[in-house]
Amino acid sequence: MPDQAISIEKLTFNYGRLKVINDISLEIPKGSSFGLLGPNGAGKTTLIRLLTGLLKPSSGSISCSGNPPSPANAKNIGYMPQMPSLYSELTVKQNIDFFARIYGMREKHQRFQRVDEVIKLVELWAKRNISITQLSGGMKQRASLACAIVHQPPLLFLDEPTVGLDPELRAHFWEYFARLTSAGATLIISSHTMDDAAHCEKLAFMREGKIIAMGSPSELKASTGKPDANLEDAFLYFVRLGEVTANV
Amino acid sequence: MYNMLTIAQRTITQLLRDPRTLALILIVPLVISSLIGYSMPSKDLLNSTLPAILAMLVLFFGFLLSGIAFLRERSQGTRERLMASPVSRQDILIGYLLGFLLFTMIQTLILFFFSIWVLKADFTGSLWQIIVFQILIGILAVCLGIFISAFAGNEFQMIQFIPLIIVPQIFVCGLLFPVDQMPIFLQWVSRFLPLTYGVDGLRAMMLQGKSLTNIGKDIGVLGAYAVGLMLLAGISLRRGHGA
Repeated sequence: MPDQAISIEKLTFNYGRLKVINDISLEIPKGSSFGLLGPNGAGKTTLIRLLTGLLKPSSGSISCSGNPPSPANAKNIGYMPQMPSLYSELTVKQNIDFFARIYGMREKHQRFQRVDEVIKLVELWAKRNISITQLSGGMKQRASLACAIVHQPPLLFLDEPTVGLDPELRAHFWEYFARLTSAGATLIISSHTMDDAAHCEKLAFMREGKIIAMGSPSELKASTGKPDANLEDAFLYFVRLGEVTANV
Repeated sequence: MYNMLTIAQRTITQLLRDPRTLALILIVPLVISSLIGYSMPSKDLLNSTLPAILAMLVLFFGFLLSGIAFLRERSQGTRERLMASPVSRQDILIGYLLGFLLFTMIQTLILFFFSIWVLKADFTGSLWQIIVFQILIGILAVCLGIFISAFAGNEFQMIQFIPLIIVPQIFVCGLLFPVDQMPIFLQWVSRFLPLTYGVDGLRAMMLQGKSLTNIGKDIGVLGAYAVGLMLLAGISLRRGHGA
């Protein structure tokens, strides 16, 4: 069994003439949380969609636990898209149950138990029989997360999972993500907020389809040479460094 | 099979939980049938035009229902989520087909039985065989809706496909004017459009009392169209090409 949950080599994705992902190589060890941090349009969502197999690379290779992304391996991944992506007429419980079923949880008793468990986990128990249209934005995010984790995947892709959540709920999400990684799951999380990124064990700063820096949050901050630097300073430092290098 | 049925069940549950849409699905065929029936100047005219009208309405309702519902799957992002899951393209397409077909069939049966029970339209031929043939038109309509939805970016565009895909078929299928009295090029166009065969088959059964075995060509063409459209819809759902 490979120790890397994800291995990417020289990955490129072109959309027409536009290079959306530009020669990315990285490895993500199993049981870690890996953040993709960058502004809108940096290529974070495209990279996640390539990793889930929704998009096909223009060149380069991707391996998820030793295999290329395919429907056969899809059972082992959980995917939470940027927008909630739920069936609006169905209730919270019906949505989660549907995703549990298509991810292979066929045994009814076990499935119902797990569905109830994740509903409680995302604190939607009181709303479980309410249709998605009647939920607030934050509640929809929680229901969407529940759909992604109900089958307990070892590899989880979360595209901007905390957008629109209040600080308390955001903290709650991050506590849960930490529990998942300590239980052995690998999390790949995209974000454009520095606060979120600080929770990840390792980060990749992305800009214009490239990874401009990679390391733990403390390593990245330390690279600036300033003792009080935050992640925003670190990001700007690497952006400027890239511009200087490009001009040399 | 399990995933296919799960998707079909979800599609049905979704529509059942939307009372307004459900009411429209049930009421619209009744309103249309009443209008057609009571606007006909004579019963003979109703009897002779009913097969073509039924074929046209089944195609129209099935296309609209499945096209918009399948498009919504994409616009609300759930299709992307499905494509990232272990379900196959066949599971998605046939699951949807089964789900929509139920409602298309309900509409078909309403149209048919309202015409023969309330409007007292006459027909010859076997009742169950006529229903089976209408189910085939319904399958074609759902396949056409699913396929065309791949080309629409939103519900508004999907509606615009009605005058492009459905209306020309109504004009050249023989409902308004006999096909053999049309210009040659329109007769050729008519031969390539599936509604022509739906109308032909239903007319042969309801007016001439023919059975399914006598209309093999119509069944074959409609079936081939349905399979072809499903295969093309499958291409638009390929993994690795976005969702």
